[in-house]
Amino acid sequence: MSRLMLLGNPGTKRTRYLEKGAALWGVQLCLLDWKEFPKNLLSQDSGAGPFFLKIDPPLWDSCCLEQLSGLTWEYKENLMELARQGSRGKICFFNDPKTIKALLDKRGCKRRLREMGIPVTEELEFFDWEGGKKEGPGQYPRFSDLLDAMKDQGIFQVFLKPNYGSGAAGVMALRCDPAKGQMVLYTCAAKDPETGRLVNTKRLRRFGDRQQVSDMAQLLLRQDCIAERWYPKAEHNGHSYDLRVVVQDGEVDFALARLSKGPITNLQLNNRPLKAEELGLSDSVWDRVRQICLKAAGCYPGLRSAGIDILLEKGSLRPRVIEMNGQGDLIYQDIYGENRIYQKQGKMMREWQMRRQWEDRIWKNTC
Amino acid sequence: MGKAKRYQYDYEQYEDGKGPKTMVEDILSDPEFGQVTDLTIGSWGDACGDSCQDILDGITDNKDRFAHVEKLFVGDMDYEECEVSWIMQGNYGRLWKALPGLKELTIKGSTDLILGDVEHENLESLTIICGGLGTSVFEELKRAKLPSLKKLVLYIGIENYGFDGTKDTVKAFLEESDFPNLVHLGIEDSEIQDDLAQVALESKYMSRIHTLDLANGTLTDKGGALLLEKLPQFPNIQVLDVHYHYMSDGMVKKLSQLPIQVDASEPNEAEEYHGEIWMNAMLTE
Repeated sequence: MSRLMLLGNPGTKRTRYLEKGAALWGVQLCLLDWKEFPKNLLSQDSGAGPFFLKIDPPLWDSCCLEQLSGLTWEYKENLMELARQGSRGKICFFNDPKTIKALLDKRGCKRRLREMGIPVTEELEFFDWEGGKKEGPGQYPRFSDLLDAMKDQGIFQVFLKPNYGSGAAGVMALRCDPAKGQMVLYTCAAKDPETGRLVNTKRLRRFGDRQQVSDMAQLLLRQDCIAERWYPKAEHNGHSYDLRVVVQDGEVDFALARLSKGPITNLQLNNRPLKAEELGLSDSVWDRVRQICLKAAGCYPGLRSAGIDILLEKGSLRPRVIEMNGQGDLIYQDIYGENRIYQKQGKMMREWQMRRQWEDRIWKNTC
Repeated sequence: MGKAKRYQYDYEQYEDGKGPKTMVEDILSDPEFGQVTDLTIGSWGDACGDSCQDILDGITDNKDRFAHVEKLFVGDMDYEECEVSWIMQGNYGRLWKALPGLKELTIKGSTDLILGDVEHENLESLTIICGGLGTSVFEELKRAKLPSLKKLVLYIGIENYGFDGTKDTVKAFLEESDFPNLVHLGIEDSEIQDDLAQVALESKYMSRIHTLDLANGTLTDKGGALLLEKLPQFPNIQVLDVHYHYMSDGMVKKLSQLPIQVDASEPNEAEEYHGEIWMNAMLTE
């Protein structure tokens, strides 16, 4: 029997609900624990033919943003190692590790989508990280650089995000009123009083004091950050929302609205999820969202499952891609409901297994 | 039956030159506007930088074409578009006479808000949603002549966002104002909500209203106990709205047992930081 593997974490919801979804198709998964990586992966290389591998994200328990940056770097290295192993023809990846890595880079992902004509939440140009740091190596952009850029480009509200980060980790929503010199910043990040470093929390705070805003933003700017224009989001019953859409093999398998009473909509912040169909959006809006999502997923050929965050502009409901995630398939409202996403993955694995068996038979008959 | 319609500009429209000067023209050029009795004006582009005065002036200058409007909301926008305390409001002095058929007015934002000489025969509902209401507005409301007013909701807010008074400001306003037909009194969104509960309970309106609204503030068990003690003296009270509060589960339970309709949803927990207790009113955090 052709082998199906999951590189993941024992006992987690991702693992358990994928196993359930796979079992419905008579498929059994072999779990490779991230804790034993890469030894456990290399031991699979026994000449028993290629195997199918889905890569789930590793578990991190740090909430310090600087540490998260180091962990992301390590994760990217591991993804490259997986890609090297795969290039020897022994692994058929569910989502290609190079693509998962590419999608961790928010700036790179948006550049690619923009080049393909897909509307994205536009970035503010305020510091040229990739063309060589403007003020020499080791220098960070200053908060004043960001304010100058906002003023120059006539954009008075932005999201500041670590370029490599997931969820709401470190995200700051900054609004300035240059005429009156007022500013306000919303974030879940907090300054650890002992270390002075930024830590991630699950509570959204608002800072209105100019010095506090500057201090908080400057701490985040020590990491590689992007500044996106903060578009007012569509609202539903007094909550603003964005959408998480899961696209798998060219089909939208799930769409969830993430409702919030603050500017950051991530569900880990106790915001409210709602089945997207309950928003009462028109068919034409849905068609546009669907088209954009399918086109965005199609920009990455090694990607069979993508979680795509979509913003609908307030008023016009014009959709824009906020970010894409090559491992954005865990949706609680789905796993505790129909488990549609992981069942589909089970089906995809079963199809791969059957194709392999068929190819093996043909190969044996030919010989 | 009239229609409800919202007019607003998004960022792209603002970048294309739309703003408060173009809003009334755009509203009037809408073929549906003749049927719109419930008119909501959302963001007028840069609501933090530009006041809505041109919109208010545009309405008064075209008063005949707005005569069918019964409900008007000026500044319906959320934190996604502008901080409530940054919304640049305007002078409503000429509007009262210009729209005699108006029954409901909602204003969001209090920066540069001037109500002027408030006199209107038919207005039944007035709501001011803001981060902090200035004493000048209380003074204007004290002198207001609104004989038909049934519902008054004021967000009190905090000092940083424009509330430059004390509980005595609210007390004096309730004593000196005269709304003979008031049935719904809302004193909301304050960080001295317990004190304002007491002020409201001692006001002359308590024997006339059927709805007491002390929502969105820092109401604690102290204010809750006061409500429990005093409300039975007012059999006319049918509804108590205290949603978004800092009361304990026990106090909420006791209030819910009052023989009236009680909304005590959205409980909050105070935070302790360096030995100090922190609570925030809804629109001030």
